[in-house]
Amino acid sequence: MKVLIVLMACLAYVAADCGPLQRLKVKHQWVQVYSGHGYEREAFGREVFLEMYNQAPKAKDLFTRVRGENVFSPEFGAHMVRVLGGLDMCIALLSDDTVLNAQLAHLSTQHKDRGIPNEYFDVMKVALMKVVPGHVSHFDFDAWSACYDVIANGIKH
Amino acid sequence: MLRFVALLALVGLAVCDDCCTTEDRKEVQTLWSEIWSAQFTGRRVQVAQAVFEDLFRRDPESKNLFKRVNVDDMNSPEFHAHCIRVVNGLDTVIGLLDDPDTLKSQLEHLAQQHKERDGIHKTHFDEMSHAFGAVMPQVSSCFNPDAWNRCFGSIATKIASLLED
Repeated sequence: MKVLIVLMACLAYVAADCGPLQRLKVKHQWVQVYSGHGYEREAFGREVFLEMYNQAPKAKDLFTRVRGENVFSPEFGAHMVRVLGGLDMCIALLSDDTVLNAQLAHLSTQHKDRGIPNEYFDVMKVALMKVVPGHVSHFDFDAWSACYDVIANGIKH
Repeated sequence: MLRFVALLALVGLAVCDDCCTTEDRKEVQTLWSEIWSAQFTGRRVQVAQAVFEDLFRRDPESKNLFKRVNVDDMNSPEFHAHCIRVVNGLDTVIGLLDDPDTLKSQLEHLAQQHKERDGIHKTHFDEMSHAFGAVMPQVSSCFNPDAWNRCFGSIATKIASLLED
C-alpha cells in the first residue's frame, strides 16, 4: 500500500512537471495551433487577446502604440504575430534548455523595458489555456500548464 | 487606344519582373512550412546558422554587427537564440504574405527596428538575400528559386527601406 502511495505521488509529480516528454507533446500540439498562414495566426491571436481583455480590461492600455483597441487593425495584427512568434520560439526551444534560457533572458529584458507587469503573464496563461484546447486534439492541460510556467517564469522580471 | 494597351502591358511587365505574385506566395509558404516547424528545433538553428555562415564568408566585416549576441562563438546559446529570432522574424513575414495590410505594418516595424541598429546598410540585405538563396535549396526539396527570390527580394527591400546604401 505504501509503495502504491509513493508510486502515485511520483506519477502526480510527473504529471505536473514540464519534463522532456511533456515538452515534446506541447511542441507537437503547438504546431496544430500555430500553422503557417498569417490570417489563421491572427484569428487565433484575436481569440487569445480578446480573452485577455475579458479577464483584465486594463490590458488594453499596454497596447495603445499598436492599436490594441481594434484587434482587427493591421497594426494590432502585426503585433499579435510578433507576440505569438515569440511564444513559438520559446515552445520550439523547450527541448534545448541552454538556448531557451538565452532566449528567455532576451525576452525578459524586452518586457522589462516595455514595462509589462508580471501579472499579465498569468492573464495570458489563463487565456491560452482557454483558447488553445479549441485548436488541438487531445489537449494536455497539465503539460501545457507546467511548460507555460517554465516560459513565463523565465520572462518575468 | 492600342498604344495605351501596349503601354499598360509594358508597365505590367516592368513592375512584375520582380514582384511576388499570389502563386509565388503560395509556393514560398508551402516550401517554408515544410522545413520550418516548432517540432524541430535543431532544424531552425541549422538553417539560420548556415545562412549566417554564408553571410560571414561573403562579408567578414558584417560579423561585427552581431557582437552583442556573441557571434565570436557561433555555437553559444546567445548566438543560437539570435539565429532563431532572425529566422523566426522571417517566418512571421512569410506567414503574412497573404495578408498584405498586416504584412505592411509588420515590415514597417522591422524596418524601424533595423534602422535603430548602427551599421546596418541596404547592402547587408542583398547579402542576406544571397545567403538564403544559397542555403534554401540545400534544405528544401523541389525548391523554386524564382518564386523565393521574388518574394524574399520584395520583403528585404521593404525592411531595408529606411537604411543607407
